[in-house]
Amino acid sequence: MTAAANTNGSKGALKLQQLGRRVGRQQLLESLSLTVQPGEILALLGPSGCGKSTTLRLLAGLDPASSGQILLGDDDITATPPADRGVALVFQSYALYPHLSVERNLSLGPELRGTRPELIKEDINRVLDLLQLQDLRHRKPAGLSGGQRQRVALGRALLRRPRLMLLDEPMSNLDAKLREELRAELQHILRSIGAPVIYVTHDQHEAMGLADRIAVLERGQLQQVGSAEELYRRPANSFVAGFLGNPSINLLSLRPGLLIGLRPEQLRLAPAGATPASTETSLNAQLTTREWLGDRLLLHLSSANGPLKVMRPSSDTLAAGLQPGAHLEVQWSRGDALCFDARSGERIEPS
Amino acid sequence: MNRLLLILWSLGPMLWQLYTSFRPNATLTGNPMQGGWTLEHYQALLGGNPPFWRYLLNSGVVGLSSTLLTLVVAVPCAYGLSRLGRKTARNVNVLVAIAAAFPYVLLFLALLQLARDLHLGNNLLALSLPYTGLSLPLAILLLQASFRDIPPELEEAARLEGLGLWQRLRWVLLPLMAPAIASASLLIFLFCWNEYPIALTWLSRADLLTLAPAMARIAGASVFTVPYGGFAAATVLGSIPLIVLVLVFQRQIVSGLTQGAIKG
Amino acid sequence: MAPALLLLLAVFALPMLQYAWLSTQAQTVLTELEPQPVGLAQWQRLLQDGRFWQDAFQTLRFGLCSVGLELVLGLAVALLLNQPLRGRTLLRTVSLLPWALPTTVMALGWRWIFNDPFGPINLLLAQVGLPTVSFLGDPAITWLSMVWADTWKTTPFVALLLLAGLQTIPADLYEAAALEGANRWQSLRRITLPLLSPYILIAVLFRLAQALGVFDLVQVLTAGGPAGSTESLALYAYINAMRFLDFGYSATLMLAAFLLMLLLSGGAVLLWLVSRPRWAGGQR
Repeated sequence: MTAAANTNGSKGALKLQQLGRRVGRQQLLESLSLTVQPGEILALLGPSGCGKSTTLRLLAGLDPASSGQILLGDDDITATPPADRGVALVFQSYALYPHLSVERNLSLGPELRGTRPELIKEDINRVLDLLQLQDLRHRKPAGLSGGQRQRVALGRALLRRPRLMLLDEPMSNLDAKLREELRAELQHILRSIGAPVIYVTHDQHEAMGLADRIAVLERGQLQQVGSAEELYRRPANSFVAGFLGNPSINLLSLRPGLLIGLRPEQLRLAPAGATPASTETSLNAQLTTREWLGDRLLLHLSSANGPLKVMRPSSDTLAAGLQPGAHLEVQWSRGDALCFDARSGERIEPS
Repeated sequence: MNRLLLILWSLGPMLWQLYTSFRPNATLTGNPMQGGWTLEHYQALLGGNPPFWRYLLNSGVVGLSSTLLTLVVAVPCAYGLSRLGRKTARNVNVLVAIAAAFPYVLLFLALLQLARDLHLGNNLLALSLPYTGLSLPLAILLLQASFRDIPPELEEAARLEGLGLWQRLRWVLLPLMAPAIASASLLIFLFCWNEYPIALTWLSRADLLTLAPAMARIAGASVFTVPYGGFAAATVLGSIPLIVLVLVFQRQIVSGLTQGAIKG
Repeated sequence: MAPALLLLLAVFALPMLQYAWLSTQAQTVLTELEPQPVGLAQWQRLLQDGRFWQDAFQTLRFGLCSVGLELVLGLAVALLLNQPLRGRTLLRTVSLLPWALPTTVMALGWRWIFNDPFGPINLLLAQVGLPTVSFLGDPAITWLSMVWADTWKTTPFVALLLLAGLQTIPADLYEAAALEGANRWQSLRRITLPLLSPYILIAVLFRLAQALGVFDLVQVLTAGGPAGSTESLALYAYINAMRFLDFGYSATLMLAAFLLMLLLSGGAVLLWLVSRPRWAGGQR
């Protein structure tokens, strides 16, 4: 295989062609086709068990594909052993060697691969500087914080000079505050590799904040690929619409055979009995509870068509003054509403 | 109170041996309150032909070589089993556990035949072969459980870094298994040190005897006129290495014992 | 993996097959130590051999008594060591010592301790004016001395195993039971024993197999005496092979001992399976 020799060579795009994996009767991943350009970050997003980790393991070569191909640059690496793919993977648990210091964690791989010692030293110093780990180089993983461990794991991957960079929920073991702080830094580092990056997560904020494009998976099937904005504005189906956006979209069956998707932040309130403008639709509802979220208010309402969430700025005096039990009109412009086929969930362009 | 009873029950017989070993034979069969102390039993043992330390040395040699050989054979096997599916491994493990509990004394005749056919009698290192075979079940169970305790991502990370199987074992897995390997080694060593029926039938030359058959031979021979002082000194000398071993490594031994039983 | 499994087969399975074959052969001095097929003659001989039946009974008696005693004492020691006592580690180490010593070494020691009249026990008895006990010279007593010596050596093993089991039982179970008014005996019977039963089973199976193969202890402590009253099946098989050079019959004896062991172990497993639902109340 020439893949190993190419580790430091030019970086090519990653192309998945109808990639699939089944174990026994279970189809873990079904015919996934995707292209990721060098320097591009693609987030694989979905609930647990959707096939995103399966995809990652196929790309790393840890599990064999049952069908389809993986192309990296000009090489077909579908059957290449993991070590020869030039792939780096940051594990969810970081998988640092617990018995080795930070420095040895980083140097073990290159040393055993036969890299020249001076070169290793230089590389490690560069990575330690980049990740601000110089002071910790002699510590064992047990003596590091979660964020520091993540950086070591990232450093180990960077030292690999990967042709393809994979990350498996690298933030899930960190607390929420740290996650937000690290996002920009991580994005910067990942882009600097210049290789295709695949980032697995179940956190939509992380996916939207980090990735250039997002691929949403559900039950082993690709639902949609696109930029965060595309997925938010024009979701391919009700699953994508429901998975992206916080609080999640309201899905109401206002007409038979159709589901109407209404984002809570696109809804407005009016006093009961008010008539909507000609471009708007209105629905009578009753307030059940109210959550105060600082600059915004989240109202939970009940209507004849089911429960409804409405997000309003705290400055909305009408919303702020309501008491539970109050009746009111919920209004939206017809252009904002998304229509889905009630049976298949596919989005329908309003006629 | 309970604690005192337990200590007395455990140590009493040993302390009595220690006491006896320093008493002249005449006082042992006469009035126990009279008479002085003596080192003559120890002098007789250590000055005998072969001297008593020879048996300890032989046991040590057999113990070490068997432990080493067992580890060399058991580690790859345990690794292989730990990477099998749970169900398959479970079935194999039931058989291995049965072998571990098997009263191996019943095997001595067949093993003796083997020694005769292959001319392995009176050879300390050859004795490691049956010992390795007999220690394998426990070693496999212990090491396999320990392999399974290592998160699979660690090995996958090493694979992705380009480490081959042996490199992964050498640099990643085995260092993490050091406690389990220590436990297993100690138990194997103890077994080999204490083993009797096979050593009895494989070894006949006096200078090659290991401790266990040597003790039996001392018990059967009448080289000691009124032998109990000599017997006692022999039990003391034969016990000291093991007592030291237990005192130093009790944690590893206990964990090995219990792990072996629980996971097996 | 393959070499290890092959070695296991060579050491454990092959001998059994060899015995199975050898038990249909006569291989003695009379046949000039060459095996000659005799069909089932060895097995017929076994069935009519009074010494075999006596030894089988003695082995069983020894095995059941010592394992039973070790279980009771082992559980007591385990319960003691499971309490948060001062010096628990030292206590555990001390109680482990008898197990670690070679059987032959301490068997020799016990010979002196059981000595009549100069052993410490008899000295003590004499001191308080009681008659001495012929621990090793009376067929009715000697087997009990052997049970004693074996119990001394192997109770630590059973205790440690049960201790490991005890440590898996969550403390809040006992707290819950105490809140419901259970006394110590009730919580031992209702909580400890049922949850400990898998560990007890492991201990029983392992110890039973070892005790029924008892050899070292018998040979050094009593050499099967007095009057053959402590001879075990393993020793009888050994004597047949090494003293009478009757290899065919020795193999037959060992197979018979093995079958006996299988039967008993199977019985123990069955007993456990039957009693488990009652003990655990179908909870686990």
